[in-house]
Amino acid sequence: MLQKMTKIQVIGPKDDLHSTVDLLYNLGTVHLEDVSTTIAPGDTMLRRVKAGPKADVTGALVKVSGMFHLLPTTPINEELRAQTYEGLRWKNDEELVKEATQVISELETTTKELATRKSDLEFTLTNLAHYEQVIEKLQPLEAQLPTLEGFEVTVILIQQEFKEVLDIIRAALTEITHNQFELMSADVDATTTAAVTVFNKTYSDQVHSFIWSQNVNEVRLPPEYLDKPFDEVLTLVEDNRKRATAEIGTVNDELTDLSGQWYPRLAVLKDVLEDRNDELSVFTKFGQTDYTFVMMGWVPNKQLAKTKNALKAAFEGRVIVNDIKVSRNEQNKAPSFYDNPRIVKPFEFFTGLMSAPQYREIDPTPLMAVFFPFFFGLMVGDIGYGLCILAFALVVRKIYGLRSHAIKQLMNILIICSFPTMFFGYLFGEFFGNLGQMMGWIEPATINGLTLDRMEIIVPFLIFSIAIGVFHVFLGLSLGLTNAVTRRHKKLICEKVGMLLTLTSIIVILLAAVAVIPALLMLPSVVLLLIGLPLVWYGGGIVAAIDIMSSLTNIISYARLMAIGMASVVLALVANKLGSSMGIVLVGFLVAALLHLVNIVLCMFSPSIQSLRLHLVEFYSKFYEGGGRMYDPFKRGTTK
Amino acid sequence: MVSEWIPIGAGLAFGLGALGTGIAQARIGAAGVGAIAEKQELFGLALVFVALPETLVILGFVIAAIILFVLA
Repeated sequence: MLQKMTKIQVIGPKDDLHSTVDLLYNLGTVHLEDVSTTIAPGDTMLRRVKAGPKADVTGALVKVSGMFHLLPTTPINEELRAQTYEGLRWKNDEELVKEATQVISELETTTKELATRKSDLEFTLTNLAHYEQVIEKLQPLEAQLPTLEGFEVTVILIQQEFKEVLDIIRAALTEITHNQFELMSADVDATTTAAVTVFNKTYSDQVHSFIWSQNVNEVRLPPEYLDKPFDEVLTLVEDNRKRATAEIGTVNDELTDLSGQWYPRLAVLKDVLEDRNDELSVFTKFGQTDYTFVMMGWVPNKQLAKTKNALKAAFEGRVIVNDIKVSRNEQNKAPSFYDNPRIVKPFEFFTGLMSAPQYREIDPTPLMAVFFPFFFGLMVGDIGYGLCILAFALVVRKIYGLRSHAIKQLMNILIICSFPTMFFGYLFGEFFGNLGQMMGWIEPATINGLTLDRMEIIVPFLIFSIAIGVFHVFLGLSLGLTNAVTRRHKKLICEKVGMLLTLTSIIVILLAAVAVIPALLMLPSVVLLLIGLPLVWYGGGIVAAIDIMSSLTNIISYARLMAIGMASVVLALVANKLGSSMGIVLVGFLVAALLHLVNIVLCMFSPSIQSLRLHLVEFYSKFYEGGGRMYDPFKRGTTK
Repeated sequence: MVSEWIPIGAGLAFGLGALGTGIAQARIGAAGVGAIAEKQELFGLALVFVALPETLVILGFVIAAIILFVLA
């Protein structure tokens, strides 16, 4: 549900500005507005608050964060962390920056040196692995290379797709060295070929220059490896690798020691600096006179008393909060704030795919929380599949839920959807397709003499799906009408009423034409149509008139509830049929299990997307306008 | 004579709808992947856009069902 918001004005003495901002930041209830936009040009009383010494805090934060990330993570005692935080929190900007500078000066040089040394050593290790790989591939060719005094060996690497460049190099080397060279190649891996060439040192500059001009990657071996047989080079590489690895170990130990000593202090300092930086970043939104500051913002009604009481208790009445009576127009610009029950919250993820709702607009999330699982369950409708989806969602949420909010919400949606899936599975008598019926465990339910076997009730199920479409689209139009009434938008009211009348009359006329309902109703429907059409035209013009046709298409679009469901049933039946037709029981079981698995994966994707689409395209388009802005309270971790 | 044309008509209604959906989805899918490459947050919307033209095949399915089960 979207919450009601109140616009507030906070006024207090300038000396209390920092403390007020800090309190509001920790309270996290106020969506701040920019007061400076309301300052009239030439106003000498009210001015915008200047940003203050923010640069120092930002600079210190950048340096502290940099060092913090260089040190290995060390567990921190949370109690100690909170205590240190409280100690630092009340320091003013200058004291805080001084503290940070002191830590930086003590730590920066050592940390940077160690980090650079570690990075160099890691680079050396990468190079050594590279040399080793190339030399190992070229080693078998060594016996064929002439070992002549005054000759130079060069290794070049070429991508397999440009291998023909070797012929160009061979031709050029023939010309440059007057045929005094040898060139041999071997593939290093699937993408690279290494070539080794031996040539007279007299031509060294010309050869290297030519290789460089061909944009070929030349392996420059370190001087210590030059003029040595490949097996000796490999031994040297191994020795160097051991030395570098040992040195990295030493550097890591030194970094760990340093981390044990400094990490908790740095972590807290980083937190405090981040918070202070966030607080300072909003200062320019405030106004000031010579002695007072002014801030404005929106607070959800249910948190207004809490905000007022916190400020009153902290400043003993020096800082006051005024509720501002705003015009209806301005109230419409208030930020939108969902506060849905826990079971509805996961569906906010889907509503978030659209632009934020406007204030006073109906929050469609609770409706989606009802219809989405219903549609999903109707399409999948299988007890076995429902159990599998439930188990899958629980496991994935357990493993990845903490790492990704999106995955957690999606898994919560799947968990909710698995229950209607099992319910409809019970009605349709489906447990892994017709397996339950074959085993005699379950039978389709019978309602009013109609057995709910999906393979047998194709036409009734199709009609039922379209009937759901009629209900859903009419519900959407009714919500659109409610929105229009709330916003007192006369033309929109006419359009929605006209659309409801027109669609009702068209449906009644169609039903009367195929003799489903008495033909007597045809005449009143034509009258309704004649009333509805001008209303639609008046409310929305030609676009709305065209929208009548698209609304009818939207209703028929709900046939997918039956169609997707049918596809799922048929695939499950095929799985069972194929499985049972196999001669060997185990093979039959594996084939059936594999096909059911494919079907379950499809069932998690396709019905979700189709159900989402029915909401976002068919349902929301009837009432949802969006274009609002979400409530974004000033609090830790939200300031950009 | 009429009965032979019924399944053909149903097949055409469904098949041509599916073909149209396929052509539209191919284009929307390619554009969607391009958009996601630029801005990953668009994944959800792109997915919905890809599903949009499926109305065609659903309408084809409804017509095919009417031909097979109502007209036959």
